[in-house]
Amino acid sequence: MNRSRAILRKIGWAFFTILFVVILNFFLFRVLPGDPARAGIRDPRLKKEAIEMLRVRFGLDKPVINCFEALNPIKLGSCAVNPLDTQFFIYVRNLAQGELGVSYHTNRPVADILSERLWNTVLLIGAGQILSIIIGVIFGVFAAWKARTAIDFTSVVSSLIVWSLPTFWLAIILLFWGSNNGLPLAGKATPGASSLPLLQQWADIGRHMLLPTITYTIVYMGEYTLIMRSSLMDVLSEDYILTAKAKGLSTFQILKDHALKNAMLPLVTVIAINLGFTVAGAIQIEAVFSWPGLGGAVFEAVGRRDFPVLQGAFLLIAVAVIFANLIADLTYSYLDPRVQTE
Amino acid sequence: MKSKILYLLILATLVLSACGAKPAEPSVVKAGWAGSPDSLNPGLAVLVEAYTIFELVYDSMYDLNLDGSFTLSLADSVTRSDDGLVYTFKIKEGIKWHDGQTLTAADVAFTYNLYKDTPEYPYLNGYYTPYFSSIEANDKNEVILTLTEAIPNLESQLVFLYVLPKHIWEGVNKLEFENLEMVGSGPFKMAEYVQNEFVRLAANKEHFSTPPKVDEVIFQTFENQDALVQALKTGQLDMITEMQNTAVATLQGTENIEVVIGAPFSPGVTDIIFNQTAPENCPTPDEGGICTGHAALRDRNVRLAMAHATDKQKLIDLILLGLGSPGLTLIPDGLGVWYNNSLKDYEYDVAKANQILDDAGYLDTDNDGTREMPDGSSPLTFRLNWPSDSITAPRTAELLSEMWGEIGIALEMQAVDPDALTSQCCPAFDFDIMIWGWASDPDPSALLYVYTTEAIPTGSSETGYSNPAYDELYAQQQTELDAAARKDIVWEMQKIVHDDVVYIIPYYEQATQAYRTDRFTGWITDQPKVELSDTTSLVVIEPVK
Amino acid sequence: MDTTAQVTEAQTQWIIRLLNFWRIFSRNRIGLAGLAMLILLIFVAVFAPLIAPYDSSSSASVKIGDVYNPPSSSHWFGTDDAGQDVFSNFVFGSRVSLTVGFFAAFISIIIGGSLGLVAGFFGGRMENFLMRFTDIMLVIPDLPLMVVIVALTKPSLLNIIFVIGLLGWTTTARVVRSQTLAVKSRKFVLRARAVGAGKRHIISRHILPLVMPILVVQAVLVVSLAILNESALSFLGLGDPTALSWGQMLNYAFSRGAMSIGAWWALFVPGFGIVWVVLGLTLLGQGLEQILNPRLDTHHLMPGRPIVRGDAGEASEKNSLLEVRNLSINYVNNGKPPARAVENISFSLKEGELIGLVGESGCGKTTLMLALLRLLPSAGQIVNGRVIFNGKDLTTLSEEEINVVRWKDISIVFQGAMNALNPVRTVGEQIAEAITKHLPGFPRDQRLQERVIELLDLVGIAADHKDHFPHQYSGGMRQRAMIAMALACNPQVIIADEPTTALDVMIQAQILELLDSLRKKLGLAIIFVTHDLGVVAEMCDRVLVMYGGVTAEYADVDIIYNDARHPYTQELLKAFPDLTKPKKKLSSIPGYPPRLDALPVGCRFAPRCPQAFERCHREQPILHKLNNPQSAAHIASCHLLEASK
Repeated sequence: MNRSRAILRKIGWAFFTILFVVILNFFLFRVLPGDPARAGIRDPRLKKEAIEMLRVRFGLDKPVINCFEALNPIKLGSCAVNPLDTQFFIYVRNLAQGELGVSYHTNRPVADILSERLWNTVLLIGAGQILSIIIGVIFGVFAAWKARTAIDFTSVVSSLIVWSLPTFWLAIILLFWGSNNGLPLAGKATPGASSLPLLQQWADIGRHMLLPTITYTIVYMGEYTLIMRSSLMDVLSEDYILTAKAKGLSTFQILKDHALKNAMLPLVTVIAINLGFTVAGAIQIEAVFSWPGLGGAVFEAVGRRDFPVLQGAFLLIAVAVIFANLIADLTYSYLDPRVQTE
Repeated sequence: MKSKILYLLILATLVLSACGAKPAEPSVVKAGWAGSPDSLNPGLAVLVEAYTIFELVYDSMYDLNLDGSFTLSLADSVTRSDDGLVYTFKIKEGIKWHDGQTLTAADVAFTYNLYKDTPEYPYLNGYYTPYFSSIEANDKNEVILTLTEAIPNLESQLVFLYVLPKHIWEGVNKLEFENLEMVGSGPFKMAEYVQNEFVRLAANKEHFSTPPKVDEVIFQTFENQDALVQALKTGQLDMITEMQNTAVATLQGTENIEVVIGAPFSPGVTDIIFNQTAPENCPTPDEGGICTGHAALRDRNVRLAMAHATDKQKLIDLILLGLGSPGLTLIPDGLGVWYNNSLKDYEYDVAKANQILDDAGYLDTDNDGTREMPDGSSPLTFRLNWPSDSITAPRTAELLSEMWGEIGIALEMQAVDPDALTSQCCPAFDFDIMIWGWASDPDPSALLYVYTTEAIPTGSSETGYSNPAYDELYAQQQTELDAAARKDIVWEMQKIVHDDVVYIIPYYEQATQAYRTDRFTGWITDQPKVELSDTTSLVVIEPVK
Repeated sequence: MDTTAQVTEAQTQWIIRLLNFWRIFSRNRIGLAGLAMLILLIFVAVFAPLIAPYDSSSSASVKIGDVYNPPSSSHWFGTDDAGQDVFSNFVFGSRVSLTVGFFAAFISIIIGGSLGLVAGFFGGRMENFLMRFTDIMLVIPDLPLMVVIVALTKPSLLNIIFVIGLLGWTTTARVVRSQTLAVKSRKFVLRARAVGAGKRHIISRHILPLVMPILVVQAVLVVSLAILNESALSFLGLGDPTALSWGQMLNYAFSRGAMSIGAWWALFVPGFGIVWVVLGLTLLGQGLEQILNPRLDTHHLMPGRPIVRGDAGEASEKNSLLEVRNLSINYVNNGKPPARAVENISFSLKEGELIGLVGESGCGKTTLMLALLRLLPSAGQIVNGRVIFNGKDLTTLSEEEINVVRWKDISIVFQGAMNALNPVRTVGEQIAEAITKHLPGFPRDQRLQERVIELLDLVGIAADHKDHFPHQYSGGMRQRAMIAMALACNPQVIIADEPTTALDVMIQAQILELLDSLRKKLGLAIIFVTHDLGVVAEMCDRVLVMYGGVTAEYADVDIIYNDARHPYTQELLKAFPDLTKPKKKLSSIPGYPPRLDALPVGCRFAPRCPQAFERCHREQPILHKLNNPQSAAHIASCHLLEASK
């Protein structure tokens, strides 16, 4: 009873956060200087009428919001308009229907563009996360187990070094390296590969994913190594490890049965919080490797000031991260019996 | 430790690559570019990549040749009425759409009406249809186009109006139609399209005039141009349509790669804009006029001195690595006959520039290194802005600041977001100097319009320049049907704006493209303009034996 | 009030604090390395015009051939896309990158610090609101948000600093809040509140000084994040093009063809700068963190030190189950002489016997017990002696061999069973694990579960608690579960290391009774470790009193109670209520046991001994064997005994 209430509260909280993001997302693009109407259509050759036409098309001719006294200093909204005919209402209504507006640049629905790209990012982040977690956990376990040895020192220092690497810089260096080693340098698949048998298609995607995934893995594994090390160090100095040792269990058994799960629990939360940061990494990696993901969409949209795409991508990323956090939170409480019954 | 991981992952790749077997060998041209079509709907597209694809997949009434001339394409013949208002095109018989249907005059008329009646198509409607009065097809497979005014440049108006199949476009929402199947009549058919990844085109071997010799052309998108160059070097690509100028020397020294340099197919102009709006020409507040330009810039002497103090060759050397030519006016050399090559540029001469300013009374009275206005009121400190998405502009700005510093002119430099720049620019005229640019049409009219008084309140004029003599000439060339006479007018107009130093045009950029010589042969590289991705090349190249 | 005096006093306090801190910090190699890297960089930034060979803002002398020149004697790191000297730009770029980093971090720290302080200090609704807001901001991915905001505003350096600063405060707020919460409940803060000190006074005088260190660590990390963020923004084309930061240099190089011309120097050098500063800051942060939150950095799986077995002599009592002879244990203390935790302890244990090991905390009792099963922490080392169990010398066994003895033959009930049980596995599992480890033939089916239930039943825990987790047990239940676990493999010896300390009296009694009854029922030998002499009185056969790592007295229980000879034993007895002498005055021994790394020269008890005389401070007494008619062995170490002998 108590537990399901806690879960409900967490879900409710996640939705509240999303609501906050939705509103922030709308006003960010309306309050900050720079007329979104002109941004996408900045070619000064356009005639006034054409610009007006575009404003109508993108719904920018409507008042931002209805009467909003509190925000009067920034001159938002007038009280005379129909609240249902404001940009904000239309934005919210469209969101509710899963519509994110139309790209200034490609004239396609933003939702279509992003949904094509979402999975590529999920693929990249997924592969990168899994690899960096696996490698980080392995190094972290070794570092903690062999604490204060050369192995430990090497792991810690190299983790700190890879943590300090700017993602895009590492990506550039690897692109440089890969370009001299015949690896594909851009995109997700070789054009025309869609006519190949499925297995070869996957192999093709795998080859394209290689450099971005390596970049991703290197950048994030250091952090996981450090977290795993310190978490495992904490666990291994707990009394129950001494108990396990006194029980005559071998080192391997102790690590496997008594230390790992306990040490991994904090990692779950860290991974979720990290998701927000890894999106930052994805933007940089996708920009360098022309990976057709969300990050690449952000990069391109920034370059073209394609605000509907930027807005949609930001919303999608934020919502994805919020959900990931929620799931991690719930997973954590599922995994840790101490939280479970509280 | 890290190397071990790399090693493991490399092993993984080797395994993966071992799995991939070689596909069968049709002749596929793999071209790389740094962009991707923004839309496949010709009405909505803006980017040059989209137009490249349209050019290959669609036909239009005229083809634009690499020397700037036009040839009739879809029609056997054209007749013009004596008043120059009515054109009759006799459409070729037996042209097939990619889906097997026949292309007729009805399709052409439908298309032109579509463009004419859709003001939401910002470019095709706004630029190319304003003189269209009516378009009809008759039962002799002829298209009768009636204009509102006799204009001299109908070819350049029709060249981008791609002819669309009526049977497909009739039933669609013309603003939301994504046109992914792209049924056209051109030498290539759309085979596969993944936005921002690649466009795969298959040859239309039944094309009525130029059936390609290769089987497929693939355009692959690379977000950065270095990867593009690397891919060409390693043989992942056969041709690239753009590259950094820095790569030219490297590629020229690479085996099996040929670099092609020349005037771009659709030349762009980089311009240094002086806000010289006279108070009486300032757009009304209703029109958005603010007009905060520095008074000194309204003085031709100041602009002239700055022109003399601008070392264009240095800009070309450092910004373009030498791959450009000094610019004169907004009409670039890439426009062929329209370009007035008789003008003599202001020589780079700092002493002369200083002398001009001294003579005009702009002296550094307070000895702070910056000159003041003749009345001593304010220093010659100008705001210099440029769009923050430009990678060359900040470098240009740095150099300008140094060059103009030599003649006692100081700059306050600031990159500005492009949309903010637009709202500062025009018709607000809330700036002193800007670095920006234009894309050009094959016909000079659009760029000439920018200098007119009429353009000031519309936002097309960036400088606020106003010269009744020029305005008159502009109107004349609009209706001069004799090409030679029109050329003379256009040349005269260029002379006027050059004399008045309306802009400083630092350079005209050259296009740099490259292809692998060991893959395909027959690329057209001996024409005045360079465009390997144009139909002209892609339909004639064939695999190296 | 004289405020100036207050100020100077506070200032000197700060200086002393800083000096102290520096003393500790200067020993932290990671932190020093980071600081050195950072100082070098700041030096470069400050003296940029002197260091850089070229003026980075001038292209006056640049010509067409100067673009992307490889490193040479005139351009150490080559030239960039504008023909400028990469090294000079690198040097000047350090100014921009550091400026952004420090100013942005300053903003973040001010915001995060004040929000954290306010939330932590005032609590209630304010805290709830602020922390909820922080949580929201924490979840929103920051780089995309920065990208959005910078893309919408002017890409000037000031804007970038503000955007990074305004979005980078979340972790700081959380960290500061929890630190404030921790500090708030400390005694002196409570006292200050009780005497009615103003809130501002409390925050600035009492809380801030204690929050400050953590704020500094946090600031170091925030600076590095800000620098990384600035470089990422610049790389994405959102930097200030007129301020040539390292990120901007990379942006130019990357977007202006450095890669295709092979100009690795233009890509490598600025990236190296970013790595350098971020790594320096990270190392510094790590170092500071290590000082603020010192961790032992040791754990139970670290390999033990090699055992030294001196001449311990032969086993004396042939029929004993477990005999410890002359066992000495040192704690290695890096650099300094080792701490002699246990010296020369001998005792023996027969089947079914219960020996009490008594002494105050810190007398080496637990060390001794851990040494029996070779469970010493990695700093501990057996430097002499033998542990003979059933004729086998446990100190000679390999790790695999001792693993067989552990639990199967000798098991331990640890003190504080709260932590001795793994919190994420059920109690049943943990008991069953011992069985399956040591009785490989035991069927792993229902019978295993029945055995676990049986064991739990033995200690009075109902079967349905088998699948519960330790935190669902009460303290007494956990202790009993520990005992059940210790019994799982039918061991011959159980070491009970203060099994009752943390429990209330009722439960203590239950546990003791339980152990005693099990001993009788199962014929166990038990070593019972306690600091409370009274506890063992009823059950023990023999008592070993330890003080400062050595044997104070060793004898049968009756002798200890009736004829204690060592002053320490006598003092301990005084501290324990004797029901037979209700009017006896209870007294505790003044002072504390000696620190093991600073043992007195003479008798270790001498500083606290009421009967100590001059010799006691000079000479360590030897063990005297007393001939007591009632006891087989009575040993004590005291100079007084020599006199009486």
